[in-house]
Amino acid sequence: MTLTEASPPPTGRAAAPRPPRPRGGPDRSALSLMIPALVPVVLFSVAPLVYGIYLAFTDARAGIGIETSFVFFDNFAHLLADGEFWLSFRIGLIWAVSVTALQFAAGMGLALLLNQDLRLRWLARTLAMIPWAMPPVIIGLMWKLVYHPEAGILNATLMDLGIISENLDWLNDFALALPAIIAVGVWTGMPQTTIVLLAGLQNVSKELHEAAEMDGAGVWRRFTQVTLPQLRTVIIAITSLNFVWNMNEFALVYVLTQGGPGGQTRLPMLYAYEEAFRYGFFGYASAMGVAIVIVVLAVLGLYLRRQLKEAEA
Amino acid sequence: MRTRAAKRTRATAAAALGTVLLLSGCSGTDPADEPMRYLSLAWQTQSVEANKRLVEEWNEANPDRPVQYVQGSWDNVNDQLVTAFEGGDPPDIIHNESPALTSFQYRNYLADLSGDLPESLRSDIKDEAWQTVTIDGEVVGVPLLQEPQVLIANADILKEAGVRIPTSEKPWTWDEFAEISKELTVPGERHAVAWPLDNAVNRMLNLSLNYGGTFFDIGADHKVTVKVGDEEREVVRRIHDQLYKDGTAARAAVGMTASDPLPGFYAGKYAMVQGGVYTRQQVTEQAPDGFEWVMLPPLVGDSAAQGATSQTLSVAAESPHREDAADFISFLAEPENQVDLALGDWLLPTSQEALKAPELTTAKNQWDVATAASDNLEPAPYLQVAGFDEWKTRVAQPALQEYFGNRISIDELARRLEEDGNVVMARYETK
Amino acid sequence: MASMSVRRTAARTGQYLALLCYLVFLAAPLLWLVSTALKTPQEMARLDPTWIPLAPTLGNFAEAFGEQDLIGAAERSLLVALASAVLTVAIALPASYVLARYKSVLNRIALGWVLVSQVFPFILVIIALFMILRQFGLVNSLVGLVIVHATFCLPFVLWMLQGYVRGIPRGLEEAAAVDGAGRWRTLASVVAPLLAPGTAAALMFAFISSWNEFLFALILIKDPEIQTLPLVLVSFTGPEGVARLGPLAAASLLATVPSLLFFAFIQRQFKGGLVDGAVKG
Repeated sequence: MTLTEASPPPTGRAAAPRPPRPRGGPDRSALSLMIPALVPVVLFSVAPLVYGIYLAFTDARAGIGIETSFVFFDNFAHLLADGEFWLSFRIGLIWAVSVTALQFAAGMGLALLLNQDLRLRWLARTLAMIPWAMPPVIIGLMWKLVYHPEAGILNATLMDLGIISENLDWLNDFALALPAIIAVGVWTGMPQTTIVLLAGLQNVSKELHEAAEMDGAGVWRRFTQVTLPQLRTVIIAITSLNFVWNMNEFALVYVLTQGGPGGQTRLPMLYAYEEAFRYGFFGYASAMGVAIVIVVLAVLGLYLRRQLKEAEA
Repeated sequence: MRTRAAKRTRATAAAALGTVLLLSGCSGTDPADEPMRYLSLAWQTQSVEANKRLVEEWNEANPDRPVQYVQGSWDNVNDQLVTAFEGGDPPDIIHNESPALTSFQYRNYLADLSGDLPESLRSDIKDEAWQTVTIDGEVVGVPLLQEPQVLIANADILKEAGVRIPTSEKPWTWDEFAEISKELTVPGERHAVAWPLDNAVNRMLNLSLNYGGTFFDIGADHKVTVKVGDEEREVVRRIHDQLYKDGTAARAAVGMTASDPLPGFYAGKYAMVQGGVYTRQQVTEQAPDGFEWVMLPPLVGDSAAQGATSQTLSVAAESPHREDAADFISFLAEPENQVDLALGDWLLPTSQEALKAPELTTAKNQWDVATAASDNLEPAPYLQVAGFDEWKTRVAQPALQEYFGNRISIDELARRLEEDGNVVMARYETK
Repeated sequence: MASMSVRRTAARTGQYLALLCYLVFLAAPLLWLVSTALKTPQEMARLDPTWIPLAPTLGNFAEAFGEQDLIGAAERSLLVALASAVLTVAIALPASYVLARYKSVLNRIALGWVLVSQVFPFILVIIALFMILRQFGLVNSLVGLVIVHATFCLPFVLWMLQGYVRGIPRGLEEAAAVDGAGRWRTLASVVAPLLAPGTAAALMFAFISSWNEFLFALILIKDPEIQTLPLVLVSFTGPEGVARLGPLAAASLLATVPSLLFFAFIQRQFKGGLVDGAVKG
């Protein structure tokens, strides 16, 4: 089932007692289905969000009794000239794209395995959720221990296997730090990706698979010709969201490297966070947030358009 | 089957609503009638116990103005406090450290306590310590615990090498330290010292006072300029020399934070580790049986002066209980209570009276050496700089990491700290 | 024929091996956590760490549970997580149906919001959110926390569920509509059962996000009597990434195990049989 196949408005069957109106507003019962979600969303998500976006056009700063004035696009003008921010943006894109791609590849592999009729499948499915089950507070600390240059289990294991001949300082090496945190990022996000893909796989029609097998299609061809097209909606959804989330990540990285060494792992969200919560420049930080939103949506727009085109082809 | 599922959906929705209603919340009472909230960052067992016990003691003696102990944590306290201050609902009594107070004062978060503290407390704590919490003439906290920078050494290695063991009366100079480090180093096997340099800005600034390095000039008009002259370069250059010229300091430790080098220290890979006086706590707890260690008094450059940072207790500007909160803080800061808190955290009290306590002058766990080091503590200028936090994370930390990673020269380091630093300072000129 | 079955066996073995590699990668940190929880402080500071503790001890558990009310905190976390999981799915299910089935302005706005809300640094909305919650008297209450958790899980859950709804052939609903079922009834009797795997995934997501959520809890909960588990966990950490690892690891195990049990329960509950057949359309 692809997005475009699903998208066309329901063709109002004449027989249906209440034909849904295709392109106009939703009918009343549709609205009633939305209301329970709408209320908390407007109150607790949209309202603060709008306020946050509004801040981007002000010189708001942390502090009690400090006057705020509307500055129009000043913050954005400054931001365009803020080389450091755009540098961190580049790092952020590398991080988000690699983590998303790896999460997808690894998650797909795992989801396919877990969809097989293997023994103790429920146990394997449960164990695959471990990164998700561990409290974030301990995840950063655990991985710090794993990467510890001297007392870390990773160096110890690699030395035993003869892969490296001297201890590596994973989180502080200018070349290794980013890959090292990307690995942690993939690990943390795997369960989410896997479970979503797995749920999608369970809806993949078995008849089509069997039919393809009858036609003599190999495993790979069945995967690309039958499974992937049917999963397309789910894949688009999870990769887009993973990308967005990875772009938004900073807490984990903050624990592991604090943006170091020498700013090599300073993700843009970390940058915005520090700007707001450490230095107190709420207005400027919000402008960063808005800039991140714009760029991310642009990237996503391109991605979604390409995916849709492929779907149509 | 389908109807069952439908029923189930409805039932779960009802259950959700029911649970939500069950979890009863607190109703909004007048904040002036609520107990004072004390956000404590104590985290060692003993120190948490001491804090809770003192709160209980206070509540027994002051039933009309009770205090509620709230557990915070160092890593997240800033997020918690900024939200609470900005949202208008801060805790009344706030545990923090002096470098954090500057920006809080700048944002009018904290109450000026200058009129609320008893004379006995004022005179019991040295002026140098008061200066660490006096910003723009306002006393925005009470300094409680301090942490001098020291070296902790493997006693057996020192003895074996036959080097002079420094004492509080006759500490090592930096020159002597550099020479002895060469003797203690066994190439390929052991480094003399591990400097954990990952998060080292505050420590470097504090140590740089040894050579009079202050890093900041504060003009009469409050205009701040960063300066990195010969005095400021001295300490970092000496450490860099140990790493890359003498080969006496372990490069592996460059990326480590405070306690990371300890496993290597216990295993004899390093003869010494640099740390704070509280590092003793970890060493006593973790070192293998029979491991002999000794704490060395702070090194001496042109002087033994070190920048002091202290843990502090402050009162929120918006607290309706300012005077009561100040009384509670004065109670915690009484000498005998400070002794308990200091023992709990393995830090030094600011109270001069408390420093004389037998528990803090015993040779056991080297409290005597630690206590003697408190004489050298001086307020460092960076504590008065509103943009310090940004300078530290955005400029100084990455630049120092590159310098200690031997990727940039000391001139480039100085240039970045000054030029990039002054750009940062300019953001904080208007209040 | 024989070669066929040999190939089958080989493929199976390969699959088990691949699965094993995955599980090692994903589960190793948990094993390490167990190992850490059983080690003495001395052993934790050794240069050559071993997987199996040399002198296993339960001291860390005694310390962690003796010092903090971990059980009470876990109970509160469980309550909050269950409530917000159920609440999230209950409000997301109908809405996702509308989003998937109607192309309207509202639909576009909603999807736009889903994306923006996920991209915009939530650290920047948190102060405004805090003030709104104060207005509603929801600060320092578990109800407030449940509502916030549900609200912030909603975008993802909506996004996923509407994807699954799109995967359901329209014919079934149309048949129901022909039978005269209203939209709520169509949803409850036709769509919801078909969405079981998706719903299970959504429940798990909402449960675990709430169970592990730290920042909102930190900011909203003031009273130590109603602290949730993640808040209690951080009390074992100190400044500069120094932590009392032993007790923290022991307490973290307590935080990890219920989630895993919950996962196992959900897995067994929704083994797939529920949906087989119905979706083939």
